[in-house]
Amino acid sequence: MSEPTTISQAVVAPALVTGRDELAPAAAVPNPLRDPRDRRLPRVPAPCALVVFGVTGDLSRKKLLPAVYDLANRGLLPADFVLLGFARRDWEDGDFETLAKQAAKEHARTDWNEEVWERLSGDIMFVPGSFDDDEAFDTLAKTLDDLCRSHGIKGNAAFYLSIPPSMFPVVLQQMERTKMADNEYAGGWRRVVVEKPFGHDLPSALALNKLVDDVFTAPDVFRIDHYLGKETVQNLMALRFANQLFEPVWNSNFVDSVQITMAEDVGIAGRAGFYDATGAARDVLQNHLLQLLALTAMEEPVEFTAEAIQTEKLKVLRAVTIPTDLENYAIRGQYDQGWQAGERVLAYTAEAGVPSDSTTESYAAVRLGIDTRRWAGVPFYLRTGKRLPRRVTEIAVLFKKAPHLPFSHTDTEELGHNQLVIRVQPDEGVTLKFGSKVPGSMMEVRDVSMDFLYGEAFTESSPEAYERLILDVMLGDSTLFPRNAEVEASWRVLDPLEEFWAGHPPHKYRAGEWGPKAADEMLGRDGRAWRRP
Amino acid sequence: MTTLWDTTGTAVVKALAAERRTGGGVTSGLALTLVVVMEEKDAAEVEAAVSVASSRHPMRVLAVLRHQIEAPVPRLDAEVAIGGRYGPGESVVLRMYGRLALHAESVTLPLLAPDAPVVAWWYSETPEHIAYDPLGVFADRRITNVIRDADPGESLRARATDYAPGDTDLTWTVITPWRAALASAFDTVQSAATSVVVRGNPVDPSAQLLAGWLSSRLGLYVPVEKAEGKYISSVELAFADGHTVDLRNEGYKLVLRRPNQMDSIAPFPQRSTGDLMAEELRRLDADQSYAEALGAVTGHTDLNSRPAIRSHIWHDPALAAQEG
Repeated sequence: MSEPTTISQAVVAPALVTGRDELAPAAAVPNPLRDPRDRRLPRVPAPCALVVFGVTGDLSRKKLLPAVYDLANRGLLPADFVLLGFARRDWEDGDFETLAKQAAKEHARTDWNEEVWERLSGDIMFVPGSFDDDEAFDTLAKTLDDLCRSHGIKGNAAFYLSIPPSMFPVVLQQMERTKMADNEYAGGWRRVVVEKPFGHDLPSALALNKLVDDVFTAPDVFRIDHYLGKETVQNLMALRFANQLFEPVWNSNFVDSVQITMAEDVGIAGRAGFYDATGAARDVLQNHLLQLLALTAMEEPVEFTAEAIQTEKLKVLRAVTIPTDLENYAIRGQYDQGWQAGERVLAYTAEAGVPSDSTTESYAAVRLGIDTRRWAGVPFYLRTGKRLPRRVTEIAVLFKKAPHLPFSHTDTEELGHNQLVIRVQPDEGVTLKFGSKVPGSMMEVRDVSMDFLYGEAFTESSPEAYERLILDVMLGDSTLFPRNAEVEASWRVLDPLEEFWAGHPPHKYRAGEWGPKAADEMLGRDGRAWRRP
Repeated sequence: MTTLWDTTGTAVVKALAAERRTGGGVTSGLALTLVVVMEEKDAAEVEAAVSVASSRHPMRVLAVLRHQIEAPVPRLDAEVAIGGRYGPGESVVLRMYGRLALHAESVTLPLLAPDAPVVAWWYSETPEHIAYDPLGVFADRRITNVIRDADPGESLRARATDYAPGDTDLTWTVITPWRAALASAFDTVQSAATSVVVRGNPVDPSAQLLAGWLSSRLGLYVPVEKAEGKYISSVELAFADGHTVDLRNEGYKLVLRRPNQMDSIAPFPQRSTGDLMAEELRRLDADQSYAEALGAVTGHTDLNSRPAIRSHIWHDPALAAQEG
């Protein structure tokens, strides 16, 4: 009895077919199949190429190539997509494909699917050449032009500079010479992705920004801070701005202090050259910690767009003040030998590649203030370090104690500050710490925690930070990327600290401990103590 | 796991609380309660599906199995577990005998996670009217799967007649990769579509919904023409500027063919019922696009404006059988 059902045009409500105007000029026809209410359809970028410079490097093999595979496996790559690798190797397409396959297979987060890889490998190409080789860049530019025709990438390309900053000038000049960075010439968008470090102080950051912005236009430059791609960091905005509960107390009337911690248990494994010239403050504090501070402290953006969020972050970063008493409130440390997780570990100065008289810090802690009505008087304690007891990143908002307690003093001895802790990694989630009665016939109050935890399996399937960020670059969504001005404002905070530290050797701390004593004394002087994360 | 024979709803609630205390289940948040209406023979498949879905959405699972409605004495058997065959979360299997099966909500209501959304899922045998089943009346989201019914085409039409916002069907979930690939193909097209044909099995609900969706979005008549294969084999589009697009299912991939351009291939993995459920549970509000597609298939125009709340209609299958 079942006949083919007919679908009559008459039943289609007219409202559904607007959004597409029959008489509109051919340009910019909105896609009639995309509907903001249809949240099942993934955000898929326009056809494009992803060009990776330094594609044989560590970052590329461990993060970029697997992320591209994962995106393909999740069906988030556009139908027309090309991955173009550029590096100084004498390779054919095939050799590169082997390396890429190995890298993707080893580090991908999603299951391995040969079909997906086969599809992707057909869209992977390799252009060999050194960065000062004009011919190689001409080949690259020509390849991109050819791909527009053969692969329908419409002139769209994102260039990922997975290379040391010292190579930037020569690569950018080559791109300018071959007009690869020119949106109009290419007939599509051309974007560039830059990894940290974004300079090593304000002048160098300004020079780098100018260099990149001269070749690409400023909105086409994406600076990757992979912390901002993490699910919990994005959840911080949902927590603050989607709820009524937290925002009313998110100010100096109720907040006592804020502690932002990024601790690592590892040493400098293999990065001695880079790390010894950089140090913990430039490596982590200037970018990750200040970005987390900005997201914690910023005002509500007028709308959830990249521009509005960046405006608010920038306002906060510009209002950051550094302590006048740097001696006591800007502490850096360097790990000495010690025991960690049951193993003997070397001192920083004994690590391979580090000079024995190095004064580079592996730990930095600082008290910052924010001169706004919302935050005046609330200290923001930031700390980061290597060879600390465990790997953890968290933002802890400590609230003031209740102005009056009707209980006797002895009943509330164990009551601390109420705390809201945003755990960025590991154990992504949120903890609320508050006082509760100890069960029994006595009135005793002590701290308990209420936990929200993204289940382990739940986070496993959520996209890796790089995946999310690469996708956003291709979509042109810069919400999760720090802008020029933010980078510069961050260096304005750090430069005076670095200047002070230059004349003061770092405090020593034993590997496997929570940083130097001086950092504990810094909070002790304010009548506070570091939270043990 | 606690097994309770010939028990009461109150005892089940206590057993769940005890499991939570001893099993440490209190540490993880609950996003929803999933009520699965199933039969004994489906157990293995439902367990596999739910364990996939519950690893992505923290939830409490209540599996309801109704047995022998005509049995003279009502009886309830239950299994309470945290972490087990139904995935990492809390699960309660409820076997109901006799007339109790008609009052299943009296057992499930106290077991729903407080103030969390409730999703009802009929693994097979979609009720003719969801309002007949009190489990559906108390659910915020209702998921059916008409492909498992005896006459899926007829069942899909019944879904439209019975539709209330918050209903979806897994035959719609199945076509998300098709819709994503088509939307992606449209991203580069600069002119209006003039004709669209879906090729496949004309009575297949998924093929119909895909045609209905395209029809509702493009304002065109979209036929389903018979072709090899048991559900959708290809979609062909022609545009005003002469451009054509052919999207074809070739095994585990979707191949997008356009003249003068290289074929583009998108992965088209076989998704398990668990994957489909995980997609469904991402959104707990009404799916307007589904309503429009379903409306276009069946000629109903009012689906999105219907009230989202149903009232229970007393329906006794024993009486219905006598009369029928």
